[in-house]
Formats: sequence, C-alpha cells, structure tokens
Amino acid sequence: MSAAPAAVFFALAALASFVVRDAFLLDSLILILLWGSAAAAWNVAGGYAGQISLGHSAFFGLGAYGAAVLGTRWDLSAWIGLAVGAVVATAAGLVLGFLSNRLRGPYFVLATIAFSQVLLIVASRLRAFTAGSEGIPVPFRPGFWTLGLADKRVWVWIVLVVAVLAYLLQRYLDVSRRGYQLAAVREDEDAALSLGVAARRLKVAAIAVSAALTAVTGALWAQYVGFVDPFYVFSVDLSVRFALASIIGGLGTALGPFLGAVLVTTVETYLRAQFGGIGAGLVGIYLVVYGTALIVMVRFAPQGLVGWLRRS
Amino acid sequence: MGLTLIFGVMRVVNFAHGEFLMLGMYVAFWAFALLHFDPYVTLIVSLPLFFALGWVSYRLIMRPVVHASHNVQVFTTVGLSIALQNIALVLWTADARFVRTSYYAVVVRVADAAFNVAQFVAFGVAVACTAALFAFMRWSYTGKVMRATAQDRQASALMGIDTDRVYALTWTIGIACVGVAGVLLAPVYPVYPTAGLQFVLIAYVAVVLGGLGDMAGALLASLIVAAVEVAGSYVIGTAWKEVLYLLLFIAILMVRPAGLFGQRGAEALGT
Amino acid sequence: MSLLSVAGVTKRFGGITANRGISFDVAPGELVGIIGPNGAGKSTLFEIISGFYRPEEGDVRLDGVRLTGLSPDRVCRLGVARTFQKLRPFAGLTVLGNVMVGALTRTKDVRHAREQAREIVARVGLEDKADAHARTLSTGQRKRLELARALATRPRLLLLDEVTGGVDQRTIPALVQLVRELHASGLTLLVIEHNMRVITAVTQRIIALHLGEVIADGPPDVVARDRAVVEAYLGQAYTR
Repeated sequence: MSAAPAAVFFALAALASFVVRDAFLLDSLILILLWGSAAAAWNVAGGYAGQISLGHSAFFGLGAYGAAVLGTRWDLSAWIGLAVGAVVATAAGLVLGFLSNRLRGPYFVLATIAFSQVLLIVASRLRAFTAGSEGIPVPFRPGFWTLGLADKRVWVWIVLVVAVLAYLLQRYLDVSRRGYQLAAVREDEDAALSLGVAARRLKVAAIAVSAALTAVTGALWAQYVGFVDPFYVFSVDLSVRFALASIIGGLGTALGPFLGAVLVTTVETYLRAQFGGIGAGLVGIYLVVYGTALIVMVRFAPQGLVGWLRRS
Repeated sequence: MGLTLIFGVMRVVNFAHGEFLMLGMYVAFWAFALLHFDPYVTLIVSLPLFFALGWVSYRLIMRPVVHASHNVQVFTTVGLSIALQNIALVLWTADARFVRTSYYAVVVRVADAAFNVAQFVAFGVAVACTAALFAFMRWSYTGKVMRATAQDRQASALMGIDTDRVYALTWTIGIACVGVAGVLLAPVYPVYPTAGLQFVLIAYVAVVLGGLGDMAGALLASLIVAAVEVAGSYVIGTAWKEVLYLLLFIAILMVRPAGLFGQRGAEALGT
Repeated sequence: MSLLSVAGVTKRFGGITANRGISFDVAPGELVGIIGPNGAGKSTLFEIISGFYRPEEGDVRLDGVRLTGLSPDRVCRLGVARTFQKLRPFAGLTVLGNVMVGALTRTKDVRHAREQAREIVARVGLEDKADAHARTLSTGQRKRLELARALATRPRLLLLDEVTGGVDQRTIPALVQLVRELHASGLTLLVIEHNMRVITAVTQRIIALHLGEVIADGPPDVVARDRAVVEAYLGQAYTR
C-alpha cells in the first residue's frame, strides 16, 4: 500500500493542532494518536509477527509506572521515566518473546494474559514502591522537561512524533528484508526455518520492540492523564483495546491501527458521554460494544478497514 | 471440566469460560434473592437453562468459527468474554453479592480440615459430574463419536459423523457443566462481574497440568492445585498466592509445550 | 569426497525407533531416491538431515561440516534446502513473496532478492502466478512453489519429500521433468518418492528403508528386485 493515505492522515492531525482551539477536540486527537501508537506497537507483534498477545497492557503499565514512580519518588524528569519504562518493558518483552518460542497459538495467548496479571498483582501489592492498589497521582510539574504541559497543542505534537515513528516502524516491516522474514514466521514458522530464517531471534526482537514502544505510549499516557491505576493499566481490557484497534483497522497493515483507533476512541468517547452520567454501571456499555465488535470483525471483516478500503 | 471437554474435542480454547461460570453464580444469586430458591434447587432448574444458553451461543457465535484459525477463535471467545462481563456489569453493577443460606455457617469436619457444607456439596457434585462425564465419554455412542472427532476431524466426517453436531453438543455440555459449577460456587464465594476470571485461571492451571483434553488428569491436577493453594497461602501468605498460581501456570505451559500442543509432537507420531 | 554423509543415525520416539543406525553417503551431483513402506522412517530421516529433529545417535555432515544439533535455519544457510510432504506455503504472501523469503537468506538487498525470485518463479513455470496469493494455488502449483522457495536459498543439497504425491496424474510428467532439469544443472538431490515408476525413471540410485533401517542401497533395477525390499512391501500389503 502506498504511503499517501498515511501522509494525509498525519498531516491532517498536524494541521488540526494549529486550527482547532476546542479543548475537547484536541483531547480526542491526542488520545486517538496515543491509542493509535499503542495499537501500532501491538500490531508489530500481533499483526506483523503473528504473536497474538493479550498481555500487552503489561508493557503499557510498565511505561506508565516508570514515568510516574520515577517522577514522584525521585523527582526525575518524565523523559527519564519514559526511557526507564521502555528499557524495563524491553526486558519484559524479551521474557515474553522467550515464551513465544515455547508456546504456540492459544497457549501463548493464555501465557500473555497470565503475564500481565502477575504484573498487576505485583503493582497493586508492592505498596511501598507503587502505592499499591490506590494508584499514583502524577503531579503536574510545569515544563517540557517534566512533561507538565498546559498547552494541548504541544501534546499533539509530541504524540504525533511517536505516532509517525510507530507508523514508520511498521512501514519498515512492510518493505524490508526483516519484514519479509517476519511475515514468513507469522505464516508458517517451520517453513520459515527451513528457508534459513532465524525465526526465534526475529520473533523475540519484534516482541521486544513492540514492548518498548507500548511502554513509551504508556508513559506519555500517564503524564497526560495524570493518574496511574494498576487495575486499569495492567488490565486485559486494555490489551484487548490495542488488539481491537489493530483488527478493526487491519492486522499487519501500517495505517490500520490508527484508523482503528479513530473509530474505537470516537465510539468510546461518545458512549461514555452518553451513558457516563446516568449510572456508573452503564459505563461498561462501551466494553460490551468492544466485545461484540471483536466477534463481528473477525468473522465478517478479518482484513479490517484497510482491507475493505483496498477492495473498494 | 467443561473446559477440558471443549478443548479436547473442538480444539478451541474458550476464553469466555469464566463468564459462563459468573452467569451461573448470578443465576443462583437472583433465584435466591428474588424467588428464595435454595441454590441446590436452582441447580436443577439451571441445567436446562445452561444447555439452552450453550446451544444458542454455539449457533450464533461459535459455529461460524469452528473451522477458522486459532487466532480467530481466540478473538471470538475473548470478545464474548468481554461482552458478557460488561453486560453483567451494566445489568447488575460491580457490587459483590452473596448468597447467604441458612446453613452457611455449618461446618463439616474431615480429619483436621474444616469445610462448610456448600464447599462439601460442591466438591461432591463436581466429582459426581466428572464421573458421569467420564462414563459418558467412555461408553456411550455419542461419547465415542466425540472422541473420534477429537482425534481426527476429517476422518470422522468421512465416516459419516456429523461433526458440526458433535461440536454443538460438546460446546453445550461444556457450558452446562460450567454453569452448574457456577451455581454450586455461589453459596461459597461472592458474585461480581469479573468473578469468573479468578476461577478460570485456576481451572486452566488444573486443566493444563492434567493435560488438555484429559478429564481424569484434570481432576487429579485440580487436587494438586488445591494442595499448592493451601501450601502457598501458608508459606507466602494469601496475598501472593495468585502470583504463585500464575507463575505455576506459565511454568507448566513451558515445560510441556511440544508434547501437548506442538505440531512437532503430532508429526513425530505420524511418521 | 561425499557431499552428504549420514553416519549411524538413530532416532526414537518413546518406544518406537523411527531410524535405526542409518548410514549412507551422497556424492556431489548425485540424485538419490529414498523408498520404503509407510512408517519406514523416510520423513524422520529428512527431519533429521534438515535439523528439525535431533538424533539420539549418529551424525549428519555436509561436506565434512557437522549438521547434527544445529537449528534448521543454520542447516539451511549451510546449504541444505527441503520441501515438506504436507505442503506449507506462506498462504498470506504472494508467490513472489514466498520465493523472496528464500532468496533473502542469501542476499540482504530486497530488490536483488525480488529479481532472483522472479527468475526462479519463471524457472518452475509459475511466472503468470507471480503476484497471486499462495492460498489460491492448486496442489501442483504449490509443489512448484515449495520447490522454487527452496531453490531460492541456493542449496547445495535439496531434499524433496514426495514431489508427485497427491498431484493430478497429468501434471506428474512436468514435475518429473523439472526435477530432471535441476539434477542436470548440477544440483545434488535426495528424493522421497512413493511412485516407483517416477523414481526409477529419474534416479541412478535408490536407498530402501524398512522399519527404520536401510535394507537396500543400489541401482533402481537391483533394489526393485531385492528380496528384502519385495518382502517389506508385500508384507505390508498382506498385513493390511
């Protein structure tokens, strides 16, 4: 697929940051780009390498906690927290990559869920370090260095840079040698091995890169939203959100996760706004929609939006 | 147990299993709260209910993807799980609810351990169900057909077995089992929308440990898990017990990958 | 000096010994057929040579370099390519993409790999299918694709597992011709084949396996008349 639609997409986002003044719309834009980047990171492992993980919230959470803990405890820069989160997540990604070499299909999925649940329990129980199940409020410290940015336009630019990087990473996998080899591993690992592809190393690398990128989005999210709740950042629902955006947009396509994120984020924002006020329980409706969408998409449109656009 | 059956025959890992368990618990709760049904009366009523639920969910959701790739099945059942969980959340809120029977505090002593009646009954019924299911699979014609399908989909289809019906039946029985289990657990544990998750993880540990698709193994394994649970909470405290489970779970998956689920193991036997 | 040397290879699965002390050598440029009734251990032997199985005993060497214990991708990079009995194309990739994966093992340059892949695709007669997705191919075309993919890794030794198995009768001659051409171009081949007519037509040498052991090794007409071989096949026919 050509890069033109993506160029249009990102250019529009950049343009919007200059034109749009409405805080709500800017907020939506930031979240779309952020969730799009997280979905793109998931897509590197799930779509390109075929390693379906429902434990990716583990990496998101590590990034979020990295930024929050280092910022509140040692008063370090949010950027350092982000970097530390990414490094820790890469290490965790290596562990998950190791699992992917031993487990196939549904067993890998099960293991990834267990993996994120372990981190959830650790984060919510290690009171001394993470403030336990209450979560960590991230204090607003003005300045770029501490990512305390009142101007939402600056946020748009920051997440836009991350989004473009995530997109370019996927484009690299569309056209490069490693990309072809990774596709072979996804389609049939044994056949790839028989053709001289170092399948295991490649898979581990893909998962580790995916983990690092997910952690970056997690750290930014924590700084932007200002609060880290272990039951949210390590939840299976969050992992499913990444996967869902990729699937809706188109598995293994570079632009797909972003298109998916547009849809998922918009629908969620709308449903939350519609039902949020009536009763706390009704907030769950957007998750019912998620679940249903997942079932419907894999059955009727496994190629996602991108596949659908390509055909028409 | 329902899990083993569904996986063993259909080769589908059902991520929505815990949610059916949760539904079973809610059925027991509402029957108790509104109709003052004793959970054990509900048990009898809920059996056909869950058979129906299983059948409907199979027709609507599972049938189109039975022959699809694992990933499609994973996403479908995950989607089902999330939808059910949050339907429960929307309808019945996140509050934990309890079924308080009159005999709640009654305790049965076996050797040194104390069980309350509900736990005792749950255990008894579980063993009886397993035995019944085991016998069914072993001796009845339908059971034999199910095992044949498990071994070789295509060959069975060629032999004139309606594999689609076998899958429908398997799924339905599996869901019925877990629904009943939910009703049984209701007097012992609180009910809330994500209640299924904690049980299903334990169930998965047991099932994987015993060998997926192997029912006697699963029962044996659940005893081992119970032992680990008791030992674990004694040694490292209840708080970290779940971590132990999860690590145990991953470790088990790791130790026996090829034999249980790898393609290579199957190939080896085929040559 | 032999190109492939298999020495005393034994492989067990539980109580079953799939390969028992198998030894033979293949000289450069040879085309050797492997026959044997079902369960003789032919496929297991292929899995061992290509690095998917690790034998309990014995050694496999390519041009003196030990292959045993190496991973399949290493074995491939050292010059052994294979096809699978049960075909395993990369279904979601195009024919060209499939073959490029093989070519990229020898070159880092994607464009270069694409050119090479195009040539090889033409060589196996799939040029008009180059941009089709692999899942749309017929069985015969898939066999060609597997062959092309393996060739793209520029092997010194090619292992073919049942080239004509499960293929429409009419396409067999073309596939046989393709194997002949590969052999004529100097490639060393080890071929598992069920179809006796095919194998005697293309090879000068046949190795017969039975119950995991080599029971005959020689020219096709000699092996075909070998007592042990005849009994192995008849025995199977009777017990069936």
